[in-house]
Amino acid sequence: MFVKLIGAALVLFAGTLIGFLQAARYAARPKQIRQLAGSLQRLETEIVYGRTPLPDALRTTAASAEQPIGRLLQAAAEELGLGDGRTFRECWEAAMRNGWPATAMRAPELNVTLRLGSTLGISDKDDQLKHLRLAAVQLKAEEDAAKDEQSKYEKMSRSLGLLLAALVVILMV
Amino acid sequence: MSIDVSAIFQIAGIGIIIAMIHTVLKQMGKEDMAHWVTVIGFVVVLFMVVRLLNELFQEIKTIFLFQ
Repeated sequence: MFVKLIGAALVLFAGTLIGFLQAARYAARPKQIRQLAGSLQRLETEIVYGRTPLPDALRTTAASAEQPIGRLLQAAAEELGLGDGRTFRECWEAAMRNGWPATAMRAPELNVTLRLGSTLGISDKDDQLKHLRLAAVQLKAEEDAAKDEQSKYEKMSRSLGLLLAALVVILMV
Repeated sequence: MSIDVSAIFQIAGIGIIIAMIHTVLKQMGKEDMAHWVTVIGFVVVLFMVVRLLNELFQEIKTIFLFQ
């Protein structure tokens, strides 16, 4: 009886926690997209005004970025620093694909970032500026969509976690 | 007798919880999902009722058919 009670409490606790984690992911997505857009703007400054070489530009941008984004850029800079003959596009893609699951962001932002990576570092600064601006606009649209989703699903996933846990407990009693 | 009562409470609890999940999902505009949840809950409850009915019929058989 007592063991059963503890088990039920644990299931309830775990379900509630899963719901809250899901809600936190929904809440973190627009924030991280905004941070990514800010980092890209900083990268734009490094490229267009500072004329810094791309690995250094990535490193300085990563150093000043907030954490999940900073790790992504740092990983890209490290891949590029290996110097094993891969193009920037391949390094960028590998770093982003590896680091993406650790962030709260989803596939649309990844696609925008990858498209940007295929044009960065292969043309003059005006062209790169154009592509960076385009990526910023697309990220803004994604951020709005993510905010919309957040207001819709944040509360839902919170209560849904608790309710599903309660359902499991009742089914197993 | 006590087993029967707990089963009824269990079914009632499932009904309440399913109704709440349905309401939450419907409010958030996922009506199709809400309906699926209701259908699945109904099927689960139906299985429990069928098991209880099976017990009842076995009881009747043992009483009237002298197995």
